[in-house]
Amino acid sequence: MRDLLADLIDSAQARAGYADARFVRSRVERLSTRNGRLDQLDSHESEGIGVRVRMGGAWGFAAVRGSGRREAEAALARAIAIAEVQPKVPDAAALAAEPPARGEWASPFERDPFEVPLEDKLAVLLAADAGLRTEPGVNLTRARFSAFQTETLFASTEGALCQQRVTECGGGIAVVAVGNGDSQIRSYPASHGGHVAAAGYEHFLELELPGHAPRIASDAVSLLGAPACPHGTTTLILAGEQLGLQVHESVGHAVELDRVLGREASYAGTSFVPPDGIGRLAFGSERVNVTADATTPRGLGSFRWDDEGVEGRPVPIVRDGMLAGFLSSRETASEIGLERSGGCMRAEGFSRQPIVRMTNVNLEPGDAGTLDDLIADTDEGLLIETNRSWSIDNRRLHFQFEGEAGWEIRNGERGRLVRNPSYAGVTPEFWGRCDAICSAGDWRLISLLDCGKGEPGQVMRVSHGTSPARFREVEVGVA
Amino acid sequence: MITDEVAARAVAEAGPGAFALATRERSLMLRFAAGRPTQSTAIDDITVEVAIPYHGHVGRAATNAVDDRSVADCAARARFAARAAAVSGEGSFPGFDAHGDAAAVPAFDLDTSELDPATGAAALGDAFAVADRHGVEAHGIWTVAEQEQGFATDEGGGAERRTDAFMKVICIAPSGRSGYASATAVALAEIAPSELAERAARKAVARGEPAELAPGEYPVVFEPQAAGWLLDLLGDCAFNGLAHVEGRGALVGRLGEQVAAAGINLSDSPSNGRTLPRSFDAEGAVKRPMPLIQDGVAHGVAHDIRSAAAAGAMSTGHALAPGGTGAGPHPTNLVLAGGGAAGEVELCAPVERGVYVTRLWYANVVRPKETLITAVTRDGTFLIEDGTVTRPLRDLRLTDSVLGILSRTQAVAREQRLASDGEFYGRRFAYGVVCPALRADAVRFTGAAG
Repeated sequence: MRDLLADLIDSAQARAGYADARFVRSRVERLSTRNGRLDQLDSHESEGIGVRVRMGGAWGFAAVRGSGRREAEAALARAIAIAEVQPKVPDAAALAAEPPARGEWASPFERDPFEVPLEDKLAVLLAADAGLRTEPGVNLTRARFSAFQTETLFASTEGALCQQRVTECGGGIAVVAVGNGDSQIRSYPASHGGHVAAAGYEHFLELELPGHAPRIASDAVSLLGAPACPHGTTTLILAGEQLGLQVHESVGHAVELDRVLGREASYAGTSFVPPDGIGRLAFGSERVNVTADATTPRGLGSFRWDDEGVEGRPVPIVRDGMLAGFLSSRETASEIGLERSGGCMRAEGFSRQPIVRMTNVNLEPGDAGTLDDLIADTDEGLLIETNRSWSIDNRRLHFQFEGEAGWEIRNGERGRLVRNPSYAGVTPEFWGRCDAICSAGDWRLISLLDCGKGEPGQVMRVSHGTSPARFREVEVGVA
Repeated sequence: MITDEVAARAVAEAGPGAFALATRERSLMLRFAAGRPTQSTAIDDITVEVAIPYHGHVGRAATNAVDDRSVADCAARARFAARAAAVSGEGSFPGFDAHGDAAAVPAFDLDTSELDPATGAAALGDAFAVADRHGVEAHGIWTVAEQEQGFATDEGGGAERRTDAFMKVICIAPSGRSGYASATAVALAEIAPSELAERAARKAVARGEPAELAPGEYPVVFEPQAAGWLLDLLGDCAFNGLAHVEGRGALVGRLGEQVAAAGINLSDSPSNGRTLPRSFDAEGAVKRPMPLIQDGVAHGVAHDIRSAAAAGAMSTGHALAPGGTGAGPHPTNLVLAGGGAAGEVELCAPVERGVYVTRLWYANVVRPKETLITAVTRDGTFLIEDGTVTRPLRDLRLTDSVLGILSRTQAVAREQRLASDGEFYGRRFAYGVVCPALRADAVRFTGAAG
């Protein structure tokens, strides 16, 4: 395959100003149970080549399945043919300079999840599912396992030739209780598929799904009879997945430089963040520090090279509340005068071209101690940990989220459970009201497995590291 | 066709009772932003899915390699998965029952299947010219595809070729105001790039200072694009047979009851002349017209084989994957019948103060059993005053029950349009909702947006 890609790039060199090619082989395994029975047992394999060329400032990209020479050459010809007929972009910025990526890399893991017998995985899932059904009133129980392995070989007309393999594994449980004309869901360790990490089977076992199942089931049934989250303005503590999602939607997407430059207006939208906002835009309070870090251990946004051959590294996004950087590509970085790409170009498989995506966009820990310390320091408020519903406008400014469950905080203690806990805000105002972030000991990665962007659509898996954080004067009970 | 041959080969490898679905995608998409091309993607790929029932469970495997060895390996993985599944006891999947007796539907256009990039480039040029004339930026996509899909069981099979074309134009004025227009069809010839750009540009340059509305309840005129989003979400909350049989659906205990205004007639009509037709679903089941809401009364829910078995019913041809998906079946050819209003102008006429919505964005289900959703308006939101659209309106967040909105629907326009957002995740699956514009009273807005 190395020879094929090298030949392909040689052929492209004479015909296009820039070209790159990726061979991608993907494996996916998904298992799930439903009400104590196996529900889904899927394995999916694919491989193919995607060729990208830039001619007259216009891009052409063509993807073809398999690893055949004839098909790969046809893809190159198709990419060139498409680029050639596009309206020209004579003032297109040059790509930001980048040393050619060379070498090999693989994400670390202890136990290959694809080598673990199906029976072992099923035993864990069925035990977790049984734990969920210990509570009367439960209607639907689900336990899930997921494993992904992606091998990428990348070559470019600038001399890059690198190979990497990323292995990811994880899972989660969820339970739905129905009653009183209502339905309530609880999940662990997160909703929307659970928690997946760039790790092996050991991560799935570390989640200890069976041990957490009875508590989750009890919560779901209790929610049916819990009071609804009242409407008002209060102090909000976000933790776990909900805080990770808040970072993802209101910070991560807002600082994608393609959006900032208007390139995604046709689909994902634009951003309230201006291209010249670095050092000028107050994104939040001085406690807020955010870093996009492609080197975070176990992060789903971690890699050695992005999908245009830029080495992954930590990029400051917010420092002491001020905008400090963007998620960028070689093209977008060049357009605003940055010396280097932020290394954020990622593609879903071989049949999509790389676009600006999140690496691990992490909220740096503060000094507020543990979550219990933070609750103890809060007279009155609301705690939300797990997400149920999310929506944010196309400028990443006005958002409305709802958690699966909320807990009132009264006199420094976690109080009663409330159902349908929702809140709304405006991004820089919300982050400006962040007055406490827990310390490094409570800092955890969460994963989001279905971040959609691009046309044709691409689903990306990303991680966010956060410690629980507190926000003052937030409107709650809005949905 | 290649897909029926590949599917038949996969079933032969997989053995008795197996089902195989092969889907080939050839597609081309051109993206543009601010009046220049930005990305273009050509895809030629195939997916073969093999599903093997075993003791009431389904083991599945998929590959995009179709040589004999790869197909045999895929079948072996599916068989291995099916047998492993049996450790959880006897399942309830009754088996596949597709015979390939689906009637052909007019889903293919030869010219569209050529996927000509020069035609696309010309479309972009047309849109840019219109945008320039109005002094606005043009953003959007132009895309065409040919999809060939074949299925097989050990008793027979079927195959179908489909094409789809989609273009959307979002025009952004120097003021930051934007307008949207899109079109979807089986044949590219039905899409007029200049006309789309013109419609989008006019909305972007609409005169007047943008008004602001406080959160509250207002009468709303929804264009078909916005109404289509609401109905598609209703498909998840209300017509999902798996959620229904598990007690989570919004229509549990409500079938046969009035759930919408009497003027609401909603069906899933896979061969409707305005939809993107399909003759069979992902389990090879024949797709037939199915009433969902008649004269405002809830009539039925959609099933795949699995949910039908759980409900003691028959599949209605709404499977999205062989053996079903965890999310359940979904109606992909929704059609809302037209009403008596001549168009959007007539719908606005009785409104003293209300909201005109071109499209909704980032819609998400908040509480499925209540059909409660939230979304923001985008690319063409206007204030209606004294019966006419008077000026732009700052975008708003809508948080309301879809069945509630349909219950408060006062009038429906005659003309239907195929509303689609042209979202193509995974293997391309083009679909949309055929619906007219409609007016609903007391729609709840919970905040500002944009």
